[in-house]
Order: sequence, then C-alpha cells, then structure tokens
Amino acid sequence: MITKHTGITILALAGLILGGSSCEKGHNDTGLVYAPQMYESVGYEPYRQIRPNPINPEGLNMRLPAKGTVSRPNYRTTFGEGAFETTDMMMYNIPADSIGIAERVLTNPIPDSEKALAEGQILYTRYCSHCHGTTGKGDGPVAKQYKGVPNYSTDAYKTMNDGHIFHVITHGKGRMWPHGSQITPDDRWKIVQYVHKLQQG
Amino acid sequence: MLIHSINVVRKMSYVYKLSSVVFLSLMLLVFSNHVKAQDSTAGGAPAAAAPAGGGDAEKGKTLFTNNCAQCHAVTGEKVVGPGLKGIEERAPSRDWLHKWIRNSSAVIASGDAYANQVFNANGKVQMPSFPGLSDADIDGMLAYIDQASKPAQEASLEAGKDTKNAGGVGNSGGTSISSGGPSELFTFVLVALLIVMLLVLGVLLVIVTILSKAVSPVTTENIQTSSFGQRLKTGMSDAFNNPTLRSIVIILFLLVATKETIDGAYSIGIQKGYAPKQPIAYSHKLHAGQYKIDCNYCHTGAQKGKSATIPAANICMNCHGVIKKESPEIQKIYAAIETNRPIEWVRVHNLPDLAYFNHAQHVNVGNVQCQTCHGEIQNMEVVEQRSSLTMGWCIDCHRRTEVNTKDNAYYDKLVAIHRKESSEPLKVANIGGLECSKCHY
Repeated sequence: MITKHTGITILALAGLILGGSSCEKGHNDTGLVYAPQMYESVGYEPYRQIRPNPINPEGLNMRLPAKGTVSRPNYRTTFGEGAFETTDMMMYNIPADSIGIAERVLTNPIPDSEKALAEGQILYTRYCSHCHGTTGKGDGPVAKQYKGVPNYSTDAYKTMNDGHIFHVITHGKGRMWPHGSQITPDDRWKIVQYVHKLQQG
Repeated sequence: MLIHSINVVRKMSYVYKLSSVVFLSLMLLVFSNHVKAQDSTAGGAPAAAAPAGGGDAEKGKTLFTNNCAQCHAVTGEKVVGPGLKGIEERAPSRDWLHKWIRNSSAVIASGDAYANQVFNANGKVQMPSFPGLSDADIDGMLAYIDQASKPAQEASLEAGKDTKNAGGVGNSGGTSISSGGPSELFTFVLVALLIVMLLVLGVLLVIVTILSKAVSPVTTENIQTSSFGQRLKTGMSDAFNNPTLRSIVIILFLLVATKETIDGAYSIGIQKGYAPKQPIAYSHKLHAGQYKIDCNYCHTGAQKGKSATIPAANICMNCHGVIKKESPEIQKIYAAIETNRPIEWVRVHNLPDLAYFNHAQHVNVGNVQCQTCHGEIQNMEVVEQRSSLTMGWCIDCHRRTEVNTKDNAYYDKLVAIHRKESSEPLKVANIGGLECSKCHY
C-alpha cells in the first residue's frame, strides 16, 4: 500500500515535518482566541480600534474633550482636614506668557502638612526627578543628555515662589516643556510644596 | 537534505552512526527550546574631572557649578548657551559682563548691539538673571573660566576616549542557568524523553538499514538483479509488515499527536510572548531602564483609572521637543503632530471584554509594582507580554497576596471579622478576590 506510492509518501512526510516545525506562533501574532468579539469589541473602545468609526472625524474612536471642560473624577477642590480645610476651584486661566501675574497672584491652596509633603515627594519622583534629580540639583539621569537643568538651591532659583513654580510646571519655561496635561492641579501644588523644601538645599 | 545526511551516515561505521543519530536528536532538542540572552546594562561613563583652581577662582568655581554649568561649558562647546572659553576677549568690557550676568534681559532691552547679537545667535533663549552676584563673585567666575578653559579641553578629550572604551567593554551579554536539585517531575520528564528518544532512534535505524540495503545490494541468490527501486520497495514492505516496528511508529505518532493537541488547546486565547512591532521603535530599555523615567510619567492613568493610558505625542515632546530631533524615528512624532493624527501604537496586553481589570485598584490601592504583571519592562527593547493573563493566573495571585491593611481604617472591621475565623493574614481572596462578579459582569 504505502510502497506503491513512494514519491507521494516522501512528499507527505516532508510536508508533515516542515508543517510541524513552521507552525510556531510569531511575535507579531496574537494567536487563536475563543471569542474574537470579546477582543475586537463591537462597542467603541479608546485604545483598540479595528474598524474606522463612521461618526468621528478621520474615523478615530478617540475624541478630544470639549474645549474648557474639566475631568471631574480626579479633580479635587477641597484640601486639608478639619480646621485647616480649604476650598479652591483650581481654576487656572493665566496665559503661558504671563508668568509675572502668576508670581504675584497665586498662593498654594493646599495647607502645609507632612502628608501633603510626602505626597509631593512621591509625585516629584514620578514626574520631575529623572531630569531635576532626587535632590533638585539638576543632576537626574536625563539631565546629562538634556542639558540646561537648573539647581533649585542656587541663587537664581532658591527664592522662586509658589506661583512661579506652579506656572512653570503647567506651561513650561525655557527648555522645559509644559506638564499641565500630565499632572492634575492639586498634584502640581503638592509638587510645589516639595520643591520649596528642595530649594533650601 | 535528509536523504543526503542519511547517505553520509550510511558510509560511517555502525558505532559512529549510532552516536551521530543521538547527537542529531540532542541538537533537535536543544534548538526547540528558545534561549534568550538578556543584555546587562552598560556601566556608567566616568565623569570628566574638573581641574582644581586656587584663591579667587576657587570660589568662582563653586559659583559657576551652581549657577552656570547647567547651560554653559568652560570650553568653546555650546551647551544651551554659548561656550565660555575666551569670554573676556569677546565681550565689550568687564563692566558690560557684570551687567549682563546680573540681568541680561535689561541689557538686551537697552538696545546694546553686542547683547542683541549674542541673544539672536543663540536662538533667543533668555538667560535667567542673577541679581545676587557681586562684582567680586563674577570676577571670581571669570578667573575660573579663564583658568579652566585650557586644561579642561584636554581633560574633556581624555574623558571622551574613556567613555568610548567603557562603551566597548561594558556591553557583555550572557545567560545564567540556575540549577537546583532535580524534582520528581523533572526526573519523570527526563525518563519519558529518554524513552521517546530511544523509539525515535529505533525508527531511524530501521530507515537507515532499509536505505543502505537498497543502495548497496547484498549479493544473495534471491535478489541479484533487482533495481534500486525494487530493493527499496521490498525493504519498505518488509518493514511495514513487521508488527513491532508498526506499533512503535503508531505509538510515536499517537504520543506526538496527543501532545500537540493538548498544547494547542491550552494555547488558545493565551497571548504570552506577543511582542508586536510598533509604529515607532520606542525602547523601554532606554527610557525606563537607562534614563530611569518613571512609568507614571508617560502612563499617567495607572494611578487614577482603569487604563494605564498610552501617552499622547505631547508627552514625547516634553523631551524630544529639544533632544534627538533629527532621528528618523522621532521625526515620526513630529509628523503625527503636524497631521494632527495620533500615533497608532499596537496594544500589547489584550484582555477580553468578559473580564474587568482596573489599574488604579491594583497599582494605587494594592501597591502592586508594574513589573509584577508586565515583567522587567525596563530591560525590554520591544515590549512583550510576559504574563499569561489567564484567570488561573489572576486567582493564583489573589490567593497569595496579603492585603496591606496597615493605617487604613477601611479594613479595620474586615480584619476584626477575619481574625475570628482564621489565624492566617488577610489575603485578597478573603475580601472578595475570588468572587465571580468582581471581574465578570
């Protein structure tokens, strides 16, 4: 039986060997799934899109929030506890080029406390320290490549006030680019508190 | 190729034949396992040693390092502002320098020709004012610049050589294999492998014998004048009619088929090892590993919401608005911003919609490190899914992980109730971590 079709048998064997060895999943392939619609959702998802969206411009699922709107879930307006409790709407309409106004007008709405300072330190480590360094000396690992990162405790920087620091985080200054989109206003104020500590050297 | 190697094998002696067959199967075994080497990070480059000064310049050095060195070099090299070598020869007067350093914007505003020329030549970047510096302070710094500019140049050249050398030596990759005592399962697998290999060896030997018989005929009375084809046929049919050989082949086939079927069934829906090519060759190893940029800097949602979020191009621009602008990969960010279309990163970790997962719950409340689930992201050139993300994997962690109840009043009652029932510490499983509706709804 097998011996009658030697050629075909050899071909079939070779095919089996090749097929068996080449079936390994590639790095670019997600492989087989049980319920594809659970992965390629019918609903609109912001971070996964298979088909073009017929409603939004350019077929994207994602849309920018309407101008002037504020995301509420992580936007706190009440700070401190008990007698120290303060309320601030965290409105910030000072334009990027008016740092002078920010310096004169703004004060930190978050009362000084150990807790706020500790949170400020965590936030500083997350958003600032890779450039400004853990001690604010401008010696973070990125600073060597980026250049021009100041030392907080030197003459020109050690007296900079609340409004100045808040404005620079929000809108950037010199070589530093704006970080307002990444850090919520109350987090920015906590960072301001911690930067004041670093200014003392 | 197979036929060729078999022909080669046929010419060797029997012992040699046997050993090479074993060697071949060993090679197959070795190559079927992927061995990945992880590059060890290169050691830091030695910093250039600044030359020591004396007297007035000594004070100037401290002032210079604190106030100026971030933007100015003592050599002719431009950092952010111009290099300061030979500053006194270039500037109009020492008095002008005093005024300029204390408040450069005032000098520019006064319409001074040289001030405006310098300002325009350096991209109109405003130098901060230093009203606190006295004339003596500035003279000290100028003395330091003058003293440091010549030897510093040589020093920086040497430092450059050092960094090159360090780069060459520091990049050594290697694998480390840790070996403990063999477990029971390991021994079992080894024995099973040995049996399978012996079976394979037997089949291979039979094939070799058939082929060798077919190629060089044994001169017997029965088959004296038969052709190669005929001899192959007789050899094959002999082998086919041999019941032992037939059962060996069938057992082997069944073994392989069963294993493949089970493996295949278990791999459905598991995307571990998925490492898609991204539109921009972004390296987490460089950004998170070498430059130690915190994960939260770009993935701002991890602490606050369900999704860790993929950064928009504006976060890339926080650094790349200034550095490495000319790289073709970074030009893609610029193109995305110009055309106002987001960069279409490929999602690596795909959880089906039937399961709910929230980053903030795990990262912020549970204090779970990113690496616990995502693997050593800081060492990955291309991000790969390291965990299986199966339900068993989730449940396993919920059973093992203790809840951090310290200084958290929310858990006080829960802990009290749990204490009554059990002496074990409070695990995630005890606060509903195994309930179906927590993740499936």
